[in-house]
Order: sequence, then structure tokens, then C-alpha cells
Amino acid sequence: MFDLILQATYSGLLSGGSYALIALGLALVFGTMRVINLAHGEFVLLAAYIAYTVESQMGWNPLLALPISVVVVCITAAIVYLLVTRLDKNREMNSLILTFGLGVILTNLVLFIWKADIHSTSVGWFQEAVVLGPLYSMRSELLFFITSVVMVAILWVWLDKSWYGRAVRAVSSNRDAAKLMGINPHVTELISFLIAGILASFSGVALYCASVIQPALGNALTIKAFIITILAGIGSIPGVLIGAVLLGVSEALTITLLSSALQELTGMLLLLFVLLALPNGLFGRAGRRG
Amino acid sequence: MRIGEKLAQTAAILSLAAFASTAVADEFVVGSNLPLTGPQARWGQEVAEGFKLATEAFNRGSAKHKIKLIVTDDEGNPAKASAAAEKMISDGAVALYGGFPTPAVVGAANVATKAGLVYMSSGYGGTKADFKNFFQINAISGYQKAIAGTMLDMGAKSVSLIHNTKEGSAYVATAVAKALTDKGVKVTMHPYDSAIADFKPIINKIKLQDRPELISMVGYESEYIGMLRAAKVLKPEVKAIVCAYGVATPKMMADFPAELQNVYGTTMLSYPAEFATKDGKEFAEAFKKTFNKDPDYLAQFGYVSGQVLFEAIARAANAGTIAKGGIAAEMRKTDRETITGRVTFDETGFNPHFVLRMGQIQGNKIPLIWPKEAATGKMNFPGLPW
Repeated sequence: MFDLILQATYSGLLSGGSYALIALGLALVFGTMRVINLAHGEFVLLAAYIAYTVESQMGWNPLLALPISVVVVCITAAIVYLLVTRLDKNREMNSLILTFGLGVILTNLVLFIWKADIHSTSVGWFQEAVVLGPLYSMRSELLFFITSVVMVAILWVWLDKSWYGRAVRAVSSNRDAAKLMGINPHVTELISFLIAGILASFSGVALYCASVIQPALGNALTIKAFIITILAGIGSIPGVLIGAVLLGVSEALTITLLSSALQELTGMLLLLFVLLALPNGLFGRAGRRG
Repeated sequence: MRIGEKLAQTAAILSLAAFASTAVADEFVVGSNLPLTGPQARWGQEVAEGFKLATEAFNRGSAKHKIKLIVTDDEGNPAKASAAAEKMISDGAVALYGGFPTPAVVGAANVATKAGLVYMSSGYGGTKADFKNFFQINAISGYQKAIAGTMLDMGAKSVSLIHNTKEGSAYVATAVAKALTDKGVKVTMHPYDSAIADFKPIINKIKLQDRPELISMVGYESEYIGMLRAAKVLKPEVKAIVCAYGVATPKMMADFPAELQNVYGTTMLSYPAEFATKDGKEFAEAFKKTFNKDPDYLAQFGYVSGQVLFEAIARAANAGTIAKGGIAAEMRKTDRETITGRVTFDETGFNPHFVLRMGQIQGNKIPLIWPKEAATGKMNFPGLPW
């Protein structure tokens, strides 16, 4: 039983890491603009399909798709941002509907271009087992986790130390005051979307290497990212990693100790309990002013 | 009469005859709701191809009746399947044919039943269909016989059965488990939700707690690959992995060769396809010519379903009973040899003669290994993807 729980915890940790990388972009945009980008999962999916195209059409290692993914997904993210800025009234609610619609368009675009077949990398190296004592994982899962931790750290440092990072935090905290301090909120918000695009690109390429992709996946990724964002609380980047790991481990332990059929219920119950106990999420702060 | 006048008269008669024959060709609309996109898209597309081929073959062979086929993508979604069925009925469909998965079939079949139409399917995963005028050539019992029969022939004493909780997969899994349990095999069930991404916790439970001789998997394509990759990492000490539908196909073998070596799956056709009958060879040639690829068993189901349904429509049209529920009555009278075997329908609408076969992916081929009388190769047993 101990071995089972240990492996489940380890698998959950790695899953959580991958969830965190997927959720990070959505959390950043939500923190900055109070906009829930329901097309975020489709950004990740787009990056994954670009990785597939690079591998299947050019014969390259899918990791080499990163630069192309970043460009394409960031352009897409910028377009979504420009459309969101067109909303004059009740942006928080209307952006939900707008980005949901954009997500549907992106899913169907993916379907139109790449059809409905499932795909995954054929590079065997990614699926080879990594054995650490009694713990097993695939190379790609470990890589995904490490990438996630590194990106969380980079983002955290960037938000803390860089001028634009502090500008993002300022806009998130008090938009009007930030304007008075000479920060252009539109540029800052656009940067948030672009960074979300970069993060989505990394997670999409990693997803293609570690898992199986299909056009219907985008919606499920957005929901997972959204749950983690709420769990973490607004404005907390490390909270995203912790919340994601908590979710991953809870799911894995549920599968191991109870039933795999209850996996999704676990996530919903976790969210419910956390929100009841901590309405701002695990590490969230109160709403912004302005 | 001069020759010129005779020729003119002959030409006039022939023209009239040609006009008359086209003028009396009745056209019947048949609607088909299939998942052409979404998680079951690969299966939906293959079935659609077979059904389309049957339509073309029927229309070529029948001067008196023509089938106009409407195909709608329901994405495997029950609500969309119901809406598609309603739309096709309003467009004049006299019968409907659909798809996957079971909830989508249920949605559309309910609509067809209310409209008094025949609903034919290739993907209903239940053992009993509570719809009037429901017909299916591939009964679930056929899957159960093949999967359980293969494992019993392997001499299995214990099996861990991983299955999706969706209706069709759950039905097949339950039926297989019962068939094995009735023969004294110890079966441990591991149901999972479709949203699962990491199968390692389940495989680890099987490895450390169940310790079975065999693992059986019933689910959908992306899930099979996830399960097999998790198994390749954890390497449970089993002798074979036996899957259900959608695995032993040329496309899956081509796309995931490393994961699927020595894995078993249900099929009707070996790969490369070998047909012993004239009908089978004609089907394979026509399919290859139309779609530029070899057919697989799902395309066969679509083709045979089309053959049987269109012939019933033609018979009902000849008897003048289309508007009086004649298609259903003619379907019940069906007794025909097809490329999937003999087809009749019992009182539940299922074909009691249906028995699926099992293939095993060996290198770049998929020989049939069960039942013995249909086998084109030998089992690699024990044999695993690692």
C-alpha cells in the first residue's frame, strides 16, 4: 500500500506540474485584467498541433517547434486581446462569452486544418521510463514538470524584478493608480496576453510530447486551468503551482485509494472546499481597486 | 417502311424507354448521424466511408430505386445526435443510420422511434435496445464472445479489466467480466472517467495489488494509448494485453507502432486484408479505389449495414409499404450472407449470428488469431509491447 501511495503522490506531483504550466497563462491574464480567457486551452492546443506539424511534415524533433509555436500563438493571443479591448461595458462578463466563442472558432480551425485524428509524438525517447528508486515516470512527464517549475520561477522573478513585471502587478492592483504613475495599462495588458501565449506554447509542445492530442482537448484544458486559477487565488503565481500540485496529487490518490471514476469529482470538491474556507483562493488577495 | 423511318422509330422507342426508366426511379432519403469530429471521429469516418460505398453500390445496381444519403456530424454528442436526427427526418428521411458512442445512438434512436422510423446502428453498446424498429448487425455479445473467448483460450486465471465509464464501454466490460467470471476467472474491474490523463495510478494498482495474468482494456483510442504507455513505464508482470474496439486497425498500427506491438483487439479483417469471397474482394477493391486505402472492419460494418438497410427499403418500396412501417417489417425478414457473415435480426433488433474476431498487431501486420476457424495467423503469446 505504501508503494502505491508513494507512486500515486509522485504521479500526482508530475501531473500537477503539467497542469500548472497549462494554467499559468490563464492565471496571469486573469490576475492582470480580471478577464477569464476561455480560449486559453485552445492556445495550448494550437501549440501542440504546431509541434505535430513540425514533426510529421518536417521530420524534426517536436521541441524545435517552440519558436514557431511562440510566434503563432502570440499572434493569436494578441488578436484575442484586441477583440477583448473592444468590449466597453461589463468586460468581465462579456469577455467570458467572447473568449468562449473564440475558443469554439479556434477548435474548429484546428479541426479543419488537422482533422480529428489523435496524435502524439513518435520520438520514443519521450516515452522511455525514468526510474527513481520505487518511482516511475516517463521522460516527457519529468521534462514537463521541470519546465513548469522553471517557467513559474522565471515568471515570478520577472513579475518581481522587471519594470514590466511590476507594471503588470501595478495594473492588477489598481489600474487607475498605475495610469497615474505613467504605466500604459493597454501595453501592460497586451504584454500579459503575449506572455500567456508564450506559456501556452511551452505547455502545448510539452503536451504533444507527453500525451495524446485531439481537437476536443482545448475545452478540457481551459476548465482545468480555470479550476487551478481559482484554487490558487488572484495574483499568486507560486499559488498556481501549489494549487495544481494539490489537484494532481488529490486526483492520483483518489484513483489509487478510491476509484478512477471519481477523479473529476475530486477536483470539483477540492475547489468547493477551498472556496468555502478561503473565498480568495489559497494564496489570493482581495479584489483590485480601479 | 424505309430503313430511315425504321431507325427513327427505333431511336424514339429507345429514348422513351431510357426516359421511362429514369422517370420511375424512386429516390429515398436515408439520414446518417455519425461522429465525424470529436473523440470518436476516426471510427465515425470509417463507418461513414463503408456506408457511402454501400450507397454507391446500391444506386449503381438498382434502376428502380435510388438512395439519397444525408450525413450529419453529431460529434458523438447525444444532444447533437438528436438534433441531427430531427433535421434529417424533417428533410424526408425514411430511415436513419448512426454511430458512436452509445449515448449518441440513444439520442438519435429515441427521435427515430417517436417518428416511427427504422434506426440502424453500428455502435450501440447495450445488450438490449428499448427502441422500436432498432437494428444492429454487430451485437455486443459478439464483442464479448471475442474478447472473453480469446482470454479463455489463453488459459487466463485472472484478469484486470480497465474500462471507460461511458455506457457502451461499461456494457462491453461488464459482459466480458461476466463471461470470464462464469468460467471461474478472477476479474478485477477498474472503471475510469474519460477526463483521466495519467493511467499510471490504475496500472500501478494492477501491478501491485491485482497481479493478474492478463490486462484487458475497453475504451477509446487516446485512452488505449495512455494506458499502454503507462503500462510500458510500469511493466506489470502480465502475459498479454487484450483490448476491445478501435485498436487492431491499420491506422492505429501505423500511428502508434511502439505502443501496440503484440496487443490484441477486436476486428473482422486481418491486415493486409484477405477476403475469401467474391463479395469481399469486390468490396475491398471498390473501397481502395474510392478512398485510396485498405478497408478496416468498421468500414465493413458501415457497408453491410447499408446493404441490408437499402435492400429492405427497396423491398418495402416494391410492396408499397414504406409509409406503413414496411421498412421495419422487411428488415425483420432479412436473412442474408454478407462479408461479415450471416445477418438476421432477432426480436431485440440485434443479429444473433454476429461473432467478432480478434487480431493481434505483429510487426506491420494484423493477423486474425481468434476464433481458430477464422484465424490467419498464430498468437504471439505471451507477448507484450515491451
